[in-house]
Amino acid sequence: MSKINSVTCPVCGCLCDDIELTIADGIVAQVKNGCAMCEAKFFSHSNEHRLKTPLIRKDGKLVPTTYTVAVRKSAEILAKANYPILYGWSSTDSEAQRVGVELAEEVGGVLDNTAVVCHGPSILSVQEVGIPTCTLGQIRHRADLLIYWGCNPWSAHPRHLERYTAFTDGRFENSEWMSYLNKVKAAAGRKKIKSLERKGILKHRREREIPTVSDNKPTEILDKKGRKLIVVDVRKSMTAEIADYFLQVKPGKDYELIQGIRALVRDQELDVEEVAGVPVEYLQQLVDAMISCDFGVIFFGMGLTQSPSKFRNIDVAISLIRDLNMRTKFAIMPMRGHFNVTGANTVFTWQSGYPYAVDFSLGYPRYNPGETTVVDVLLRQESDAGLVIASDPVSNFPRKAVEHLVKNPLIVIDPHMNATSLVGDIIIPSSIVGVEKEGTAYRMDHVPLPLKKVVDPPKGVLSDEEILNRILKEVRKIKSNRLEAA
Amino acid sequence: MIILTPIKKTQYPIIAQCISPDVFQEKTLEQINNLPIWIGNKRRILSDLFKIEKTTENSPSIIINGDVSQVRRIGWGMTQGEIVVNGNAGMHLGKKMSGGKIVVNGNAEGWAGSEMKGGLLEIKGDAGDYLGSPYRGSTIGMRKGKIVVHGNVGSDAAVHMKSGLIKIHGNSGPFMGFRMTGGVIHIQKDAGTRLGACMTGGKIVVSGVLEDMLPTFAIEFIKGKVKIELGDKAIGPFFVFLGDLAENGRGKLFISKEKNPQLSQYERFL
Repeated sequence: MSKINSVTCPVCGCLCDDIELTIADGIVAQVKNGCAMCEAKFFSHSNEHRLKTPLIRKDGKLVPTTYTVAVRKSAEILAKANYPILYGWSSTDSEAQRVGVELAEEVGGVLDNTAVVCHGPSILSVQEVGIPTCTLGQIRHRADLLIYWGCNPWSAHPRHLERYTAFTDGRFENSEWMSYLNKVKAAAGRKKIKSLERKGILKHRREREIPTVSDNKPTEILDKKGRKLIVVDVRKSMTAEIADYFLQVKPGKDYELIQGIRALVRDQELDVEEVAGVPVEYLQQLVDAMISCDFGVIFFGMGLTQSPSKFRNIDVAISLIRDLNMRTKFAIMPMRGHFNVTGANTVFTWQSGYPYAVDFSLGYPRYNPGETTVVDVLLRQESDAGLVIASDPVSNFPRKAVEHLVKNPLIVIDPHMNATSLVGDIIIPSSIVGVEKEGTAYRMDHVPLPLKKVVDPPKGVLSDEEILNRILKEVRKIKSNRLEAA
Repeated sequence: MIILTPIKKTQYPIIAQCISPDVFQEKTLEQINNLPIWIGNKRRILSDLFKIEKTTENSPSIIINGDVSQVRRIGWGMTQGEIVVNGNAGMHLGKKMSGGKIVVNGNAEGWAGSEMKGGLLEIKGDAGDYLGSPYRGSTIGMRKGKIVVHGNVGSDAAVHMKSGLIKIHGNSGPFMGFRMTGGVIHIQKDAGTRLGACMTGGKIVVSGVLEDMLPTFAIEFIKGKVKIELGDKAIGPFFVFLGDLAENGRGKLFISKEKNPQLSQYERFL
């Protein structure tokens, strides 16, 4: 039995690097400090359903094969294709992504990562208006106003609050953990008293009025000292429950709300009484709280990027930060999902100049989301082969896009059997990055962190990087043979 | 005059920016046949895809008889002559054009007239998204010229528009005239949401119903009629809104009073 400290967790964009693992008999026996998702990931390597040999489709059925055959067949498919797509990349290391860009260029394909159905709109608006941002360390030590807009970190990034924002002790700001605990205790106490009253043990007392936050009314909590946590969402999520103030916005009206706030920050008068279901006077109080903070941050998620207006929402949110920076200090940060989606954007950018939706079909990189994004290419039925790595598009792409993806030869590289593997033509198992292979991943604030190898992969299973390198070598061989023949 | 007739259908995107009067000019039929195009990731020549005929008439114009909705970049950067498409046209039609005329007797896909600098683009059917808008990350929109669409227009048209005229006989999608700084847009039927968002100049005239008014526009006055171009006026009366206040903008929205009774609540501010 051995212990490994400071392991980086390869699950979400938080990339917590304080995980402690206990290894016994070559498998992970205990996970300390991690969230439920982290534990599940570290335990998954010894899952009995794990795929250990490559599979190839013969007469409609998947049959086991060898790596050599699987790699050769994959290379033949890609080298022959007129418009292949190479999709995924966000749950593997930057080293594999680098080889991926090389492969995409070699086969003249469309290279895209999961940002296309996630934070792609954020990237589009960053290219239009820039982004005033900072690292999570800055926020941990200095931020006193934290706004989560259209995201639910309590469920999706469970340790974000505890490691980087409201519930962490920074050098200049204290944790709000105790006040949250008090709030939870008070709620539990109230529940107990009510139940006793119901049973007739306690005499019924006139209930003291407790300020509610669900009706958008800014309570005096916005004037309190110390860290403030505000959540803006269409429904009362788990994060909204623990927030100091919860602002409920009408679904699909975030754009109007941000524009309204911007106008108020610029001291303009609005001709309307409410914006997106929020009275203008409440907005004014929120704007006062924003302007009077020392250092504020807005974190945003899918609620902004994938609701109507998409990247225009982010466009105005970033413009709001620009406006606020004329009065105080403010920053903005997207809540990236996969552990290395930021890395995929970064690697693609330093290799090709573009962060996602890169089209190499003309021999040089081209980028035009809407034209070169994988979902649009599939919906227009233009591609004729596909390689999916470290991703599961079949379970989350539009049905029409999936239909076209499945119709053409499909190569899947993934450690596990997922919905895409089940419909693929060549399935190549790989080692789990961050558990069975070391590598590099980028945190949501663009800080690169090393991933550790803690256990050995199953016998004979190769890493993503190695598989891609072999396919690339094979593609080059086929191409040079073709040139010689010509 | 050159007549192109598509002879082959393919599922792959086709990039053919050579289809432009400037490129075809003073070229023999054989040279035109051998102009390079891209089908998917393979380099081909123009005659692989089109039957090309040259008439005796010596004018710099091109007629495409058939559906070319897969063919992108037709009329890229053209400065003179005429292109007539008797069918649907693909993406980036007339991109960066600075002169001449393009007529589409059908629909056009996205980014038609993108970064236009002059000339006339007429679409008899519907236009896709990003009509007259720049590519991703660019802030240089339409600078001059005229676009006429007889059908409907998709979303994000006339983004960053600086000057020129866009006339739409049908309806428009959301985010028309986003961040526009000048120029004129006339929507003869209904307009989508977030019209003129973040605009700082120019004017947008809506003769039909406006789906949703942004809160950051303030009413100024009511006007009887408004000039679209020389010899063309839109008859009102119109509510005139000024905005976008979030950008301290001075852009003008002219919204038909008769068709938009929901905006009468603004009249109390007059």
